[in-house]
Amino acid sequence: MGFLVPLFFTALAVLGVPVLIHMIQRQRTEIIEFPSLMFVRKIPFHSLRRQRVRHLLLLLLRCAALALLIAAFARPFFRSAVLVAVTGGSREVVILVDRSYSMGYGNRWERARDAARDVVRDLAPDDQATIIFFDSGAQSGARSTRDRASLLAAIDTAELGAGTTRYGPALQLAQGIFEDSDQPRLEAFLITDFQRIGVDSAANTLLPPGTVLTAVSVADEDETPNVSVSGASVQRDFFSSRERAAVTVRLANRGNETVERQVALELNGQEFESLPVTVEANSSATLTFAPFTLEDMAMPVSVRAVADALPHDDVFHFTVAPGDIVPVLVVGGAGAADANRYLRTALAPGSSPSFSVTVRSVDQVTTADVAAARVVVLNDVGLPSGQVGAAVRRFVEAGGGLWVVLGENVRWPADNLDLLPGTFGEPADRDGRGGTLVFVDYSHPVFEVFSAPRSGDLTTPRFFRYRPLNVGPETAVLAKFDDGAAALAEHAVGEGRVLIWTSTIDNFWNDFALKVVYPPFVHKVVEYLAAYTSPTAYLTAGQVLDLAQYPGAVDLDVVGGNLVVRDPSDDRVAVGRDGRTGFIDLTEQGFYEIRDTDAADSASVVVAVNVDLAESNLERVDPQELVAAATGRAAGDRSVTTQRELEPEDLERDQTLWWYLLIGALGFLASETVVSNRLSRTELDADE
Amino acid sequence: MPTVSTVSPGARFIDPQILARIGNLELVARWVVEGFINGLHKAPYLGVSIDFAEHRGYMPGDDIRRVDWRLYARTDRFYVKQFEADTNTNFSVLFDVSKSMSFGSRGVTKLDYGRFLAACLCYLSTKQRDRVGIVTFDDDIVERVPPSAKHFDVTMHTLDRMDPGRPGALGPPLHKATEFFKRRSMLAIISDFYDEPEKILDAVKPLRFAGSDVIMFHVLDPAEVDFPYDDSSSFQDLETGRKVPVVPDKLREQYRELVQDHIQALTALCSQNRIDYAFLNTKAPLDLALFKYLAKRHKMTKVR
Repeated sequence: MGFLVPLFFTALAVLGVPVLIHMIQRQRTEIIEFPSLMFVRKIPFHSLRRQRVRHLLLLLLRCAALALLIAAFARPFFRSAVLVAVTGGSREVVILVDRSYSMGYGNRWERARDAARDVVRDLAPDDQATIIFFDSGAQSGARSTRDRASLLAAIDTAELGAGTTRYGPALQLAQGIFEDSDQPRLEAFLITDFQRIGVDSAANTLLPPGTVLTAVSVADEDETPNVSVSGASVQRDFFSSRERAAVTVRLANRGNETVERQVALELNGQEFESLPVTVEANSSATLTFAPFTLEDMAMPVSVRAVADALPHDDVFHFTVAPGDIVPVLVVGGAGAADANRYLRTALAPGSSPSFSVTVRSVDQVTTADVAAARVVVLNDVGLPSGQVGAAVRRFVEAGGGLWVVLGENVRWPADNLDLLPGTFGEPADRDGRGGTLVFVDYSHPVFEVFSAPRSGDLTTPRFFRYRPLNVGPETAVLAKFDDGAAALAEHAVGEGRVLIWTSTIDNFWNDFALKVVYPPFVHKVVEYLAAYTSPTAYLTAGQVLDLAQYPGAVDLDVVGGNLVVRDPSDDRVAVGRDGRTGFIDLTEQGFYEIRDTDAADSASVVVAVNVDLAESNLERVDPQELVAAATGRAAGDRSVTTQRELEPEDLERDQTLWWYLLIGALGFLASETVVSNRLSRTELDADE
Repeated sequence: MPTVSTVSPGARFIDPQILARIGNLELVARWVVEGFINGLHKAPYLGVSIDFAEHRGYMPGDDIRRVDWRLYARTDRFYVKQFEADTNTNFSVLFDVSKSMSFGSRGVTKLDYGRFLAACLCYLSTKQRDRVGIVTFDDDIVERVPPSAKHFDVTMHTLDRMDPGRPGALGPPLHKATEFFKRRSMLAIISDFYDEPEKILDAVKPLRFAGSDVIMFHVLDPAEVDFPYDDSSSFQDLETGRKVPVVPDKLREQYRELVQDHIQALTALCSQNRIDYAFLNTKAPLDLALFKYLAKRHKMTKVR
């Protein structure tokens, strides 16, 4: 039985009214005048109440009448036999099986598949079932099938994935299946290790009303110690003119006991070195391997710890390519070697990229020097005249980078003024402590490195002299002095970029070169002008690789080439076979090798793929919590079953009960009238 | 009449219910006072005026008229004569005429009882050559008769036509009345004192600090003390009109305890502040109140 308007039951509170009347208002007509109720009011109020109820029968009659009236207004109804019957009947069953790599912990995956098989075997002949395997995405085989054999075969052939746990996509897929189903009963089985990291994705997913979601946990009840290789970094140096790299790895221990592991470094699939490491409980440790000489191509490198219960996070893959060298041509004034000293010193360190600095005086620079450079710096000199100047112009228009540093010797030819973002005037002096940089465009790649807190204070350098730059409103001014004058401005010429710095880059007009922010500033300016992008060492399983945008694949003919990818399972698949040219789904952990089979010198591109280490955190969520979130009611509550719409006649018939309640209430009220009259008469007689 | 046997022989005439039948207040007062005095074996408290007390050596500044010349003649030294109660005093009644004073469960109301008491006290004072006056108040001063040797009749008239009607409060009117008593006086406050003891003392203390001697006569009806009601009823506060449903059986004991606590608190606080306090039940004769008064008056005679 249910109620259409259960809110009316709040009116049951009025039942207290007749009780109060019977308890305290018996002699309301008798009033005793008393000098002061000061002492009476000090006595706790409950003792003032009359404790003895008079006329109990009358009270019961009044309360019963009120209760029946309230119940009638709440519109009670019986669930019809038709409705009850739907708790039986055929089912639409969805089996959701977690295949994220954390299911590889111990024998969880086997237990999950056994649980799925049990569900399939328990299906009734009329039941339909769909099996969904999910990690960060969800995939289903045949939908709503009664073919037990195909369901069991899907379970048998299913493999563990390399993705992370996300319940949302799987539940949404199940939601769609249920909404399309015409079966009276909807039931889902969620077989997983209930990792907490996947819960957020299910926040907005709600299965249709009446769905019964059964949680099947394969998580280990005991503690789950786990050691993972959580990252690696590479330090580069040069030895005997060959670039070397030393790998440092970090291991994390999420268990409550100290563990010792043997960790091996593999280069091109061959073990290079193996070292032991001890990791304290709930902490991390680092380990540095011996340096190795880099090859000309990107080299696949793996760090592999001895496998524990969860082997997927015991290995970390990445590629190490030779460091990029950016050739920089610095053109200075004749006999002004000191002016370039700070710049050369600032560009000397660095491995990704490293800089090859060539210094030429303006009267010695040649067109060959310009052609060999990726960035040209005109340090306190104007644009060289003649062929060199023309070469610089062509260099910039073809995509090169030009950095113009305005000192007192700069005289710019009028016919090449369009190379600059504006015109500059005679040097302007600042009195006292000099000027400072007050506006900096931290969103620009040059200054982005300084944007985080405590990442370098660009307001500390003092500028005593600079050349005022007159720029148009369309020019991007990246930094300004405190008097509003431009300090750094950018100008695009053809495919290339021109930056103009209105003070010197030595310590002649300012003390910028003496500040700690000077080297990173110079590095970022040169990297930006050289259009340098750092190579990607590895990607994460679940990502989609866009070869057209991948820096390491610039040599591949993504559109016209016959690209074949060899995945970590050693399967070869033609790229674009699924209609998506140049896109590869990175579903496995390991190295993907892409090769253009049409190219004569088919150099391969190696892409390292690692699992998302967030999945290494095996912290669990209460299964009932997830079930409640997905169904909108407490776990195990099977009271809500699938209901089909009833005919109006059925609805009307089920709700006629309120008439009887109303008649009952009227009967009680009539009885109350008779009884109260009789009682009044009796009391009157007694008074007389 | 059960009360007669419990009091002194002369006090049989001063039963409040009998007094209530006499219309003339002065007659009532005279009857009570003289009956009361006749009933005493001895009247040690009378005989004030100019009785000699002792000699003391002359001090510069003493009134030279008070030097005992005879003693000087005998001893060749100056001595000053000192007398007991060498002056009469002001006596004023501060009478609470708030609505709650109109309550009476035995035929005589608290107001009536207080009225008899005030009349007796004034009569006694007049007999002792004191100046008498009265101040009536509820939540403000209602009427004022300044103390004077000629104001006995006016005081009696004022007592006679007192009419309780408004809610009462002690603080504001008594603070205002403090201004009336610049000279040292003897003040009798007659009230039912329905307020917190601390507030009552806060109202009365200024009178005491002004130098006057204060006697508080706390007048209550027996029903207010014993709470003899049986049936559940709606009790209405005479002053505020507020009604409270009350089951007397359930709260009688607590009520009595609260009243006794109130009286004890007043007694203690008055004692701490050197204020005389007398609790008067309107079923009791007036002799207790008169004794209180005379004891106080006697203390004042010791002043030299």
